[in-house]
Amino acid sequence: MRIKAILGSACVLLMTSGGLALGAEMSASLLADTCNGCHGPDGTSYGPASPTIAGTNKDYMVETMQAFRDGKRPSTIMQRIAKGYSDDELKLIAEYFAAKPFGRIVDQKTDPALVAKGKEIYDNLCEDCHEKDGRSAEDYPALAGQMMPYIESELRDLISGTRNLENNEALSSKERNKKQRNLKDLVDTHGEEGIAAVINFFGSQK
Amino acid sequence: MTAINRRTFVQLSGATAFAGALGLPHVARAAGGKVVIIGGGPGGATTARYLKLANPDIDVTLIEPNELYHTCFMSNEVLGGERTIEQIQVGYDGLKKIGVNVVHDFATGIDGGAKTVATKGGQSFAFDRCVVAPGIDFNYTHEGITEADAGNVPHAWKAGEQTTILRKQLEAMEDGGLVAIVAPADPFRCPPGPYERASLIAGYLKEHKPKSKVIIIDPKEKFAKQGLFTGAWKKLYGFETDNSLIEWLPFAKVGGISKVDAGTKEIVTDFETFKPAVLNYIPQQTAGKIAMDAGLADEKGWCPVDKQTFESKKVAGVHVIGDAAIATAMPKSGYSANSQGKVTAAAIAAILAGKEPVTPSYVNTCYSIAGKDYGFSVAAVYRYNAEKDVIGGVEGAGGLTPGDASPEQFKREVGYAHSWYNNIRKDSWG
Repeated sequence: MRIKAILGSACVLLMTSGGLALGAEMSASLLADTCNGCHGPDGTSYGPASPTIAGTNKDYMVETMQAFRDGKRPSTIMQRIAKGYSDDELKLIAEYFAAKPFGRIVDQKTDPALVAKGKEIYDNLCEDCHEKDGRSAEDYPALAGQMMPYIESELRDLISGTRNLENNEALSSKERNKKQRNLKDLVDTHGEEGIAAVINFFGSQK
Repeated sequence: MTAINRRTFVQLSGATAFAGALGLPHVARAAGGKVVIIGGGPGGATTARYLKLANPDIDVTLIEPNELYHTCFMSNEVLGGERTIEQIQVGYDGLKKIGVNVVHDFATGIDGGAKTVATKGGQSFAFDRCVVAPGIDFNYTHEGITEADAGNVPHAWKAGEQTTILRKQLEAMEDGGLVAIVAPADPFRCPPGPYERASLIAGYLKEHKPKSKVIIIDPKEKFAKQGLFTGAWKKLYGFETDNSLIEWLPFAKVGGISKVDAGTKEIVTDFETFKPAVLNYIPQQTAGKIAMDAGLADEKGWCPVDKQTFESKKVAGVHVIGDAAIATAMPKSGYSANSQGKVTAAAIAAILAGKEPVTPSYVNTCYSIAGKDYGFSVAAVYRYNAEKDVIGGVEGAGGLTPGDASPEQFKREVGYAHSWYNNIRKDSWG
């Protein structure tokens, strides 16, 4: 309760005095900075697997953390960690990382032939939502330059249904259907090579 | 999920960031102050980095004897042969680049009244606030062994040369040899560490010296992540079979150690005598020497602190973080030190600017690797409880990897463990 009171007063200060913005910033940053040990300074990961969370759309991050917290999205560790935060705290954390640039600093090893094939698949199946070669984070998470082992584990969980899109209340049924159709198309039409190609394509983006 | 909301947010957040940027220099000019940090491990380095990020005008000096720090985390991978010693080295250029004054010297005394730190090299540093992050010191409690024996019987509980000595002994050992790890009693640095070490040594033996075995002689009846470790040992190393590569020998089985011969490596316990080819003796521990010398520790050898600011309860103006501090309920881990460094930096930045310290938030995330494609974790989210003066875990949050996790999950946790390593290094040392 004390936290909320202080965060609340900090927000008032932010609105009334630019000179006291540092205090408000540090409250949000104290919550968010604890993420950096695993996700990298300012949320940009140095890999090999933990995802970059900088530059993530604020609403998407809140929804994701809530889904972890409620057990609607599978994870290794994030379900356990998300349970430690209230909605208000998640909003502060999400706001903090949304304002940080998504760093693309790890030179991930990719296969040029797979990258080229991945680009073709991307144009057909992914581009509608993950715009600008996966750089856009306006409506959906950015995938360009995301850690490849992470993209792979999430993609495989989506394909297997372990990560069940039906549990994602933030998506309209139309969006859910489209994503599931495209995932099925990826597997049916392009198989294992197609999965590798898409991962290589996103991983190759600098 | 509406596109309009998100787009609106992006615009708003841009505006907020701009307002913050305008406000920042004004506050920065007003702040300043001198902070001297003793110890360049994850706690000290993180404090230095986050102080500079909070306010570049704060004059930050970091005193650390070594030009290259060896992280204890992932040093067990060096022992197992998965990683080289160079891969756990980190320097101080990242901190120097953001304006931290890094001094390679050994702090010998803190004068809390005069607010100065003295060094072995004869230097003196004045401070407004001092942060002591000295890690641990050893307390050899068994007859027949002292720290002077560490060349023959390594502790390898401070990484670096000690890690290399133990690795070389493992490499030189003939197949069929016995490796003994003597584990310490609580509290000690890195509670799951001895058991991860046994795991990765067993992994090395399994591949290169399969007739050999590693035993853990333990004064405790239980240990951190026990169910996960023993589960992994059963799957990977034949634990509790006749051909097990690992044997855990708690007090109930072998009794207490009455004598250790550092020359012959013989260990005599109440019920048995062991003669290992390689002996890794991990001694009892206290707060690092400077904390003891400066009167920051209690009678048990650890430093009581205010849990909100990590300011010492013994010497005003001096903060103690990391393994040396009593940070109940946070364990003595690298991630705890990193998290405490951020809390302390924020508290000091606020104090130097004449403000109240903000309410802290702390996290511990600790990965262990038990073998190829087999990792697991424990996590906790903490809040400050002023009434009880403890750092309490948020109820219902955190905890262990489930024991019945799938092979794919255990495999993924190895990838996340290695990411943890890369990211906490960058987050601490820049």
